[in-house]
Formats: sequence, C-alpha cells, structure tokens
Amino acid sequence: MRVVIAEDLFLLREGLVRLLEAHGFEIVAAVGTAPELLTALIQHRPDVGIVDVRLPPTHTDDGLRAAIEARGEVPGLPVLVLSQYVEQLYARELLADQAGGVGYLLKDRVFNDEAFTGAIRTVAAGGTVLDPEVVQKLLSKHTDGKPIARLTPREREVLALMAEGRSNAAIAQRLHITEKAVSKHAAGIFAKLDLAQSDDDNRRVLAVLAYLET
Amino acid sequence: MVGLCAVGHDGRVGFNAVLLIIIVLVSYPVAWWRDGCPGAIRGHIRARSWGLLLPPVALMYAGVSTPHHWLVIAEVPAGCLIMIFAPRAARKIVPFALLGLALVGVVLARRFQEGFFEQYQYGLVLADAGSSRKFLVLPESGLFLIAGLWVSTRVRAPGSKWITAIVRRWWRSRGGGVLPGQELLLLLVMVLTILLTHNWLGNYGLTPEESVVLNVAAGVGAMMLVFRSRLWAATAAAAGLVVLGTYGILVAIYWPGMPGRWYGVVALDTEGHAFFGGIIEGTVLLTLGVWLAPRVMGQHLGLREAELAARAERLTERVQTLTQTRSDAVDTAAAELRRIERDLHDGAQARLVALGMSLQAAERLFKSSPEAALALVSEAKEASSRALTELRGLVRGIYPPVLADRGLADAVKALALDTPLHTVVDIDLPGEVEMPVGSAVYFAVAEALTNAAKHSGARTIRIQLHYEHETLRAEVIDDGAGGADPEQGTGLKGVERRLATFDGILAVSSPPGGPTIVVIEVPCALSSPKISSC
Repeated sequence: MRVVIAEDLFLLREGLVRLLEAHGFEIVAAVGTAPELLTALIQHRPDVGIVDVRLPPTHTDDGLRAAIEARGEVPGLPVLVLSQYVEQLYARELLADQAGGVGYLLKDRVFNDEAFTGAIRTVAAGGTVLDPEVVQKLLSKHTDGKPIARLTPREREVLALMAEGRSNAAIAQRLHITEKAVSKHAAGIFAKLDLAQSDDDNRRVLAVLAYLET
Repeated sequence: MVGLCAVGHDGRVGFNAVLLIIIVLVSYPVAWWRDGCPGAIRGHIRARSWGLLLPPVALMYAGVSTPHHWLVIAEVPAGCLIMIFAPRAARKIVPFALLGLALVGVVLARRFQEGFFEQYQYGLVLADAGSSRKFLVLPESGLFLIAGLWVSTRVRAPGSKWITAIVRRWWRSRGGGVLPGQELLLLLVMVLTILLTHNWLGNYGLTPEESVVLNVAAGVGAMMLVFRSRLWAATAAAAGLVVLGTYGILVAIYWPGMPGRWYGVVALDTEGHAFFGGIIEGTVLLTLGVWLAPRVMGQHLGLREAELAARAERLTERVQTLTQTRSDAVDTAAAELRRIERDLHDGAQARLVALGMSLQAAERLFKSSPEAALALVSEAKEASSRALTELRGLVRGIYPPVLADRGLADAVKALALDTPLHTVVDIDLPGEVEMPVGSAVYFAVAEALTNAAKHSGARTIRIQLHYEHETLRAEVIDDGAGGADPEQGTGLKGVERRLATFDGILAVSSPPGGPTIVVIEVPCALSSPKISSC
C-alpha cells in the first residue's frame, strides 16, 4: 500500500516511516511542510496520506487545509489526519465532501500499531475512522428534535462504533451480538436517517456525517 | 396649500358661519354617533383626542383666504371627514397643520408689511394697517408654532422624537447660571429682536438682508439656548443687551427726531422723545448687559475650572482602575503559572518518571523474563498515553489549539460543538481579534456555556458574537430555569477579572424562570481577516 507521510517533527516522521515500513507499507514520500504535502498528494496519488494537522509554514492547521485542498483536486483521496488534539469542527470539515476515505485520530493512537494500521487500511478502503474522543463527545450530546433522536440506544452504540471505523464483525464482537444483528441495526440506522439505497460504505460515511451534524 | 392673498373680509362672516355650522352641528355629532352614541362624551373625546382639533384648524386656514378659493373651503369639510372616518390620521395631521399655520402667519405679516394688502384675517386676529391688532399676528403665529410642536410630541408624529430630545437636553443642561431664569432673559431679547425689529432698528420694513442677519443671530442664540447651556444663554443675552443698549444711546445722541421711527417702545418722532426715550431705555438695557457680562465671564471661568477638576477626577479614577486591574492581571498570571507548574509536576512529569522506571525495569528483565518485560513495556505505553492526555488538557487550559489555529470565531464554533446541549451559533466578526483579547473572550464564553450546561436545565443555548462600535460583544443565552447568581462561584468572577484587564465587562441577567443571558463586552480593534494559506 502506497503512503505519503506529512509530519514536521523529524523524530516523529522517521518513527512513523519505520513503523509503517515494518508493517509492509510503501512510503512514497515523507514531507515536512504543507506545500510539499499538497504536491506529494497530487503527484503521487497515494493509497492514503497520513497528515499532521499542524505543519509549517504558519504552524496552525496548514496540514488539515492542505489535505482538504488535495481532496478537492483528487476527490475521495484517502487521508488520515493526526493531531495532538481533536476537534469536532475539523472532523466535520474533513467529512463535508461526503466522499469517505477520511480518518481523524489523536497522535498517540499510533502507540497501538495494530489498531493504527487497521485504521489506515479502513481509510484507504474509503471508510471513515473518527477518534474515540470525538465519538465520546457525540455520545454525550443531546439530540432532541434531530433525526439521530429516532435511533434506539443500541443503534446509537452501533453508529458510534461505526464512526470509529469498526467493521460489522468488530462491532459484533465488541457488543457481544451476532454480525447479522449488527447488519440489522445498521439497516435500521440507515432507514431512520433517511439514507437512500446506495452502496453500504457510502451509507456508513453519510450516517457518520449525520451523527456529526447533531 | 393656501392662497396667501387676503384682501378685505366682506362676506367672510357668512362663509365662516356656514363652516362653523358644518363643524359644530354636523361633524362632531356624526363622529360621536360613530363612536357608539349615546356613549359618554368624555370617552369619545379621549378616544379621538387631538384629532378633534382638525376641523377648527382647517377653519383657521380657510379664514386667511379672501375671496374664498374653492380649495380652501374644501379644506373644512375634508378636515371634518378625516376627523370622523380616520381618527388616527387626523391625530397625525393636526401638529403639521398647526406648524403650517404658524408659517402662514409669518409670511402674511411680512407681505402685509411690504404693502401687499391693507387688511387680513389670521386665526383670531383681524389685522389692518390702522389698528394695533396687527402686532398680535406674530405672537399668534408663535403660539401656533408652540402648539404644533407640543401636539406633535403628544401624538408621536414623525420627527417628534427630535423635539422631545432637544427639550430634554435643554432641560437637563447644567451650565450653572447667573440668574435663575436667565434663559428667559435671552428669550426676551430674542423675541424683542424678532418682533420689534423695525422698532429697535428704527425703520419699518427691513430689507431682506437685514432680516436674514437678524434671524440668523436669533437662530444662533436659540441654538445656544437649546444645545449648550444656561450659561451660554446668559452670555448671548448679555451681548444682546449691550449691543441694543449702545445702539439706543447712539441713536438718541446722533439721530434724534426721526418721525415714523421707533426705538423699542419709544417713538423717535421728536428730539425730546428720542433723547429721553433712547437714553433711558438704552441705558437700562446697557446697564443690565454690563451687569450681566462680568458675572457670565466669571461663570465661564468657574466652569472651566470645574471641567478641569472633573477631568482630573476622571483620570485619577482611571489610574485607580488600571492599577487594580493590572495587579489583578499579574496575580492571575502568577496563579496560573503556579497551577501549570503544579499540574506538570504532579501529572505529566511524574508519569514520565514512572515511564522511565518501567522501561528501565523492562530492560533489566528482558533476558531473564521476556514476558514480564513485555508487560512492563505495555504499561509504559499506557503511562505515556495518559501523560499525553493530561498535557492535552493542560494545553487547552493555557491556550486552546483551535483558537491558535483558527481564531476566535471558529474556536467559539468548536466550543458550541463540544457543548452537550443543542446550540445555535450566530457569529459576525469582520476581522480577527488580538490574541489576548480572543483568549479572554473564549474562556468567558466557555465558562458561560459550562454553567448553562451544568446548572440551567436549558434545552437550547444561543451564542452570539458580534463586533459593533469598536466593541466585541458576545452573548450566551439559554432557555433554562434562570435564577443564576453571578456572585456565587469563582468561575465567572475570574472571567470578569480577566476581562477587566482589557476594560471588558461581563453582565449576567437571570430572572427566575429564565432566560439566562450572559453578556461579554470588550472594547478592542479588529485586524484584517485571517488569510487562509497552505
């Protein structure tokens, strides 16, 4: 799998490169600034770009902006955004184009390399992976009068795990139910959120987006 | 509007009688009947109020025109019809009709003086060249003017707010005073100047230029009276008295015996009249002016000193406020640094030490017991994760990253998203605020949101952020139970102190039953909007 990495701190960048190479990813470019990232993403069209939110030149959210801009040029270009902190605001902006292939995780999720590489693969496959911290805040949100309010508590649990990027099998395992039951819940969620028939992956992205809009 | 030519009054009585009958015998009973006759007359009058004046005012207009032009006569029945069928419109028309009538009076008097006609009817006065009644026309016009202004404020006619504001301002103006009613003195001088212009200046029929100059002078005096203060009124009165008095004495000495010319109340027809009249009258005016002038000047000086003293007091107060807020700011900053140091010391630093120890133990165990070493490494990983979480919390408390990245508007949006309640955000910031101000406002809004989410029981929170009149204004409004006491809890107090450093304020309105409104205002400048760059 071809990967572009953007991280301005040398040590972290090298650490990421080593980690991913050890797991069999092919690093086509590892850059340290936002303009370089934009060029690399558009030139190499990697299977996934791994991007730090805060990058030079302004050291604010240049990485995020570059990622969104690149997805404007190459629709659906998968990007996994890493940050020292997570904001629902940024999650919304990343998902706004409804194309999927978006990940948004805290940097320390890298410590669990299995989960991390799993997230990279989910994003590369067009899925959506939101950090549990973002999802946690969504769970505590009051939803009166919103379509989300129509979901049963179980369905909300399933949707939260879906937002974290887990597969039906993983959700089934986590909730101690059968995979079939998860599919049923998922169908219920899609119906209640008025998501038209389309391929399952796309509906999952739209459901997560609807969840963020609460 | 109205034909202003008025010659003779033959046949007027007949016409006026007809018009009067229309008003008294027809229109009022009809209006009364429409209001539910035989209801109480008093209630009927109260309901229609000032509108009832419209027919007689229309009649006054009709009176000035001879021969009766059909348009003018039509005014009376029109006024009656409006009074009967459109009482609201009648109320609004009356003040303007009265003001128009005042204007008509001035124009008539002027044309009469220029010899356009020998006799005319104006309101209640029938003026002709031979009688002294002609002097009543201008006072009557003044009465119409005052009545028009008064009624316009009562019926809240368009523009009446200005009149009320001006009167209030004059009423409140405190410039000190030499005499209790010195503004009345000025008014007297003005009235004498305007009404007896031809007398004071010794000639009938002023040229237009003279008239303009006099009216401008009177206008300036009026402006002082209305806008500045009683002291300025006295100043203008003193100057006016000195000028008029001096003029009278000079006239008596150098140009006695001018038949047909007047000085004030004295005719200058013979030398004796002129000398004694001019000298006495002029001396009285001059004495009054000279007596008044130094007192006025003294008052001016006293006022200046009082102004300086007030300014010094304001500055002293300002210095006190600044000293207080600066010392608060220094204390807050010091306390904040201590808190950060303690958090780092007990939190992240301690965890990093533990992490190092775990790794060191793992290193030792690697060969003898790889399993145990692995467990220790996992533990170290967990510890580093927890240290990061704590650091994240700490950083958010110091300067929220989203504020650093995106500025205040997006940071407040992010706050709203993180609030568990339903939020409505309305932000209109044409630029970006300075970092310290943005941070203070951010934490103020955050505190208000936390309080609303915790205590109010609200369902919806509305957050507004606007910039107007060089002031940043944030409002957090929840639809909860209200009754919040801003005195309780240290959170809002701390926020208030922090805002005070920037001359900002925080106000809480929370009546029992809600809604709770927290207003934050900070005077500040905006920089140009952030330019997005990649």
